[in-house]
Amino acid sequence: MGLLSILRKLKSTPDQEVRILLLGLDNGGKTTLLKQLASEDISHITPTQGFNIKSVQSQGFKLNVWDIGGQRKIRPYWRNYFENTDVLELAELLDEEKLSGVPVLIFANKQDLLTAAPASEIAEGLNLHTIRDRMWQIQSCSALTGEGIQEGMNWVCKSVNSKKK
Amino acid sequence: MRLKRFFLRYYPPGIILEYEKGGNLRTKSIDLLDLSPQTNPEELVEEIRQSEPLITESRADQVKQLILRLQQKQGQQDHHRFCFFKELKAHILPLTNVAIDKSGSRFITGSYDRTCRVWDTASGTELHTLEGHRNVVYAVAFNNPYGDKIATGSFDKTCKLWCAETGKCFHTFRGHIAEVVCLAFNHQSTLVATGSMDTTAKLWDVETGEEVATLTGHTAEVLSLCFNTVGDQLVTGSFDHTVGIWDIATGRRVRTLIGHRGEIANVQFNWDCSFIVTGSMDKTCKLWEAVSGKCVATMVGHKEEVLDVCFDLSGQLIATASADGTARVYSATTHNCILTLEGHDGEISKVCFSPQGNRVLTASSDKTARLWDVHSGVCLQVLEGHRDEIFSLVFNYEGSKDNTCRIWY
Repeated sequence: MGLLSILRKLKSTPDQEVRILLLGLDNGGKTTLLKQLASEDISHITPTQGFNIKSVQSQGFKLNVWDIGGQRKIRPYWRNYFENTDVLELAELLDEEKLSGVPVLIFANKQDLLTAAPASEIAEGLNLHTIRDRMWQIQSCSALTGEGIQEGMNWVCKSVNSKKK
Repeated sequence: MRLKRFFLRYYPPGIILEYEKGGNLRTKSIDLLDLSPQTNPEELVEEIRQSEPLITESRADQVKQLILRLQQKQGQQDHHRFCFFKELKAHILPLTNVAIDKSGSRFITGSYDRTCRVWDTASGTELHTLEGHRNVVYAVAFNNPYGDKIATGSFDKTCKLWCAETGKCFHTFRGHIAEVVCLAFNHQSTLVATGSMDTTAKLWDVETGEEVATLTGHTAEVLSLCFNTVGDQLVTGSFDHTVGIWDIATGRRVRTLIGHRGEIANVQFNWDCSFIVTGSMDKTCKLWEAVSGKCVATMVGHKEEVLDVCFDLSGQLIATASADGTARVYSATTHNCILTLEGHDGEISKVCFSPQGNRVLTASSDKTARLWDVHSGVCLQVLEGHRDEIFSLVFNYEGSKDNTCRIWY
């Protein structure tokens, strides 16, 4: 629908629609995770220029996931997407005013690799236990195999539910 | 009143009279929208003399020569093939909309990177980067035919007015409480109209930067707007399925056009301000009388949403773009579908006529733009090379989500 689709998605979303921002380092696997969620082919993924948007149905929620390129030069523009975001999936952005109170889910990705750091180690490294002003969760996963992703999304739906109440 | 001189306007065909009245120089235009190479010039001169006192017996031959010049221009065969000229890749995030000045020498691109860039068409070099918006620059416009000012509408809820020559920001229009998604200058270049996700449209004074009026009444987002040629009315299209006609002088809504069963994708006045065309997500396109607000025709045929609609400059043809992957050309007088343009492999989101009205250009999610002959319906050319969906285009250039803009000569 061209640009009209962007305006449609911008429209004030009804209660059962959630906007999720997927942010992280370049080559972190954000696009792979998104495609895995939408059950799409993940064999040919190149670094994201700009962004991808996918809508996924889960537990009665419509999850609009915005996957934004992770390269360093694009990061300053993440801010463009902060308003009206229901769930956020990276630390460092916790101080951002527009994102206050937004639940954070950290995916400890690439667990299919032997050298991957376990979720507990990452949680410690990121000092997650010091976050008190919002809900947070760390979920180990592998975007390649799909393991752990559904669990993460279940947490998203659950925490959005309790936030809306 | 004394006639001083004539100006010729090729598209849409017309003769502009410059005359003296009470010591002041004034102009008025004689629109010849129905002119064709088959029109009898003698009869037309007679007709003009009947209605225009400035054209006296002694001027008749001169007017006839001007009409012949216009007809000659119309008869010219255009076999131009566009060649890919240059890819511009300065934005690091996707482009939104593009606009071009009247002569085609400069154009502007809006982007997710919060800037608007001004380009020199001939060399493909960047002249200015308009920085200052705090969010996506979505809508962009030149104040044609003058081309000395640029307006940008942003998701940061503001609209900015810039000097096209220096890139200096003249004014920031603040007042909308949601994203600005459409804007337009009036043809006189005295006002800017902005449409917003906050369900209102606003009018702003170009000179002072002050808000002139807030047009309230729509119950959903205002997605498109268009001034008429004379500049006394504005038309707005909304996600609330209706179209509003507004009186510029009072800021009041004079008509609400109700009839579509889906969101309005685009709305446009024809050149002589007599008709309004609307395209809708309800898969149809409607033609309305501007004065009475009566719907005179509903043009059907598309199997999916109509995403864009436009008149040609003479107002005789209407082109539509649809999510069904086809574009159609309708007659504005008989309301029949004259052509169905088939060939794109994806949704068509944008459509426009060439100034002459003999070509239609379409942009599609299949990553190509196509050029069509209006008389035969044949696809003359496929403009390939973009690596992602094409979002926006105007004749002789286009913009895409692949972060690039391609110029075609």
